[in-house]
Amino acid sequence: MNTHDPIVGRYVYVQCEGKTYRTYYEEHGEGIPLVCLHTAGTDGRQYRHQLCDPDIAANFRVIAFDMPWHGKSIPPADFYLMEDEYKLTTKFYCEFIIAFCRALDLKKPVIMGQSMGGNVCLALALKYESEFSALIALEACDYSPGWWIDPLHHPHIHGGEVVASSVFGLMSPESPDEYRWETWWYYAQGGPGVFKGDLYFYSVDSDFRDQLQKISGRLPIYFLTGEYDFACTPEMTERTAEKVKNSECVIFSGGHFPTSEDPAKFKDIITPVLKKIVQNDPERRGQGAGRANLVELRSPRSAERAPGRRVIDL
Amino acid sequence: MSRYQNRKNFDLEWIERWARRVNEDRRLPVIGRFFTSRFVIGVDETDYLVEVRGGKIQRIAEGLTPNDMGFEFALRAASSAWAKFSMAVPPPLFHDIWAMAHPLHRNLVIAGDQKPFWQNLRALTHMLSLMRAI
Repeated sequence: MNTHDPIVGRYVYVQCEGKTYRTYYEEHGEGIPLVCLHTAGTDGRQYRHQLCDPDIAANFRVIAFDMPWHGKSIPPADFYLMEDEYKLTTKFYCEFIIAFCRALDLKKPVIMGQSMGGNVCLALALKYESEFSALIALEACDYSPGWWIDPLHHPHIHGGEVVASSVFGLMSPESPDEYRWETWWYYAQGGPGVFKGDLYFYSVDSDFRDQLQKISGRLPIYFLTGEYDFACTPEMTERTAEKVKNSECVIFSGGHFPTSEDPAKFKDIITPVLKKIVQNDPERRGQGAGRANLVELRSPRSAERAPGRRVIDL
Repeated sequence: MSRYQNRKNFDLEWIERWARRVNEDRRLPVIGRFFTSRFVIGVDETDYLVEVRGGKIQRIAEGLTPNDMGFEFALRAASSAWAKFSMAVPPPLFHDIWAMAHPLHRNLVIAGDQKPFWQNLRALTHMLSLMRAI
C-alpha cells in the first residue's frame, strides 16, 4: 500500500498591486486558519512537518503558500521586462499576504512566519491588526541588517550553493543532519536573485525600531527565537518583544529554521503557543479537537623558502 | 570545554593535523573539485598560508614571505574565537565562518578578494568544520 502525506496542494490566482499571481499553496487540517510564511528565498516545504502533524491539524487549518517567485509560484508574467532586480518590499509583502488570505476567504487567520516571515508580522501588527487573530513570529526582530549583499547574486558565484551555504550556519549544530541538509536543499533551489531580493525586505526595507510602540497590543504576538540564530539573535528578539505590547518571548535551543531543521523540537516549543491560541478562540477549533492531544596535496615548489621558515608539504 | 582547553595553541603542528584530516576526507574532492586557492588562516598575529588544489591541501606554511606573492583571501580571528569555532559543539556565533564574519558580530575578518571565498563557501565550510574532528 502506498503511503501519502495528508497534504493537498492547489493553485489560486491572487490579485496584488494590479497583477495576477498564480500562487501555490498546500493545506491540511480543520479549524482555525493558520497561514504559514516561509523564509527568504525558499518555499512552503519548510512547513511540511507541521502540515502533516495530526495534533496541529485537529485544531488548525494549516496553510503554507509559496510567495511569487518562490517554489511552485511563478513570477509575474512580465518579469523579464523589469528594469530593476527583484526586491521584496514591505508594502508588497503585506499586501500579498492580505490578498492571499482574502483569495482563500479566510476569516481572522493566525499568521505564523519565520525569519522574514517573522519580521513581517511587525508590519502586519502595525497596519493590519484587524485582519488577524494572532501572530507567531519565529526568529523575528525589529531590525536585521547585513544580508542584502551582492555575493548572493553574482554571475561568478553559484547562486544555489552560496545561498544555501550562507544560511547553513544559521542552524543549530545539534539539529539533526538530515533536516539541516534538507533545509540547505530548499535554499539551493531558489531562483537567481530571489534570496537576495527577499533580503532587501529583511535588511533594508523593514526597520521597525522606531515603530514598535505604535503596535496597539490588541493582537497577541508570540516571539520564538533559537539560540544559534546569528541573523536574529535571542538578544535582538528580546529587545523587540520588550517593546511590543501583548507579546510573549520564548528563547529555545535551536536555530533560524525551527520548522524544518528540527521539527520534533519545534513541536515541543510551539505546542504551548497553539494551545493558548485555541483557548482564546474556542469556537473555531476543529471538529477533531476533542480527540486531539494538543498538549503536547604535489611536488615541492621551485621558489626558495625563506631561511628559518617552517613549511610543510603534504 | 575540555576539548579546547587541552589544546595549548593553534601552532603549525595543529594546522598540520587539521590539514591531514582534511586530506583524508572523501567528500571534499567532490564538493571541492574546483576549489583551488591560496588562503590565510590568521590566528591572533600569526598567518598560516594554506594552498588548496581540487579540495585537497597541498601545503601549509607559518607566516608570509615575499615569495608567496600574496594570497587570495584571509580569515583572521583571535585564538579564543578559533578555539570556540573548533569545539566539538561550538557555541552560538562561533559555530560558522559567516556567523563569525557577519557585520553584526565581527568575530572574524575576511580580508583580500572575497569572491573566491563566496565561490567556494560550501567546500570551505566543510573543510573548516573538520577542525572539530581533530
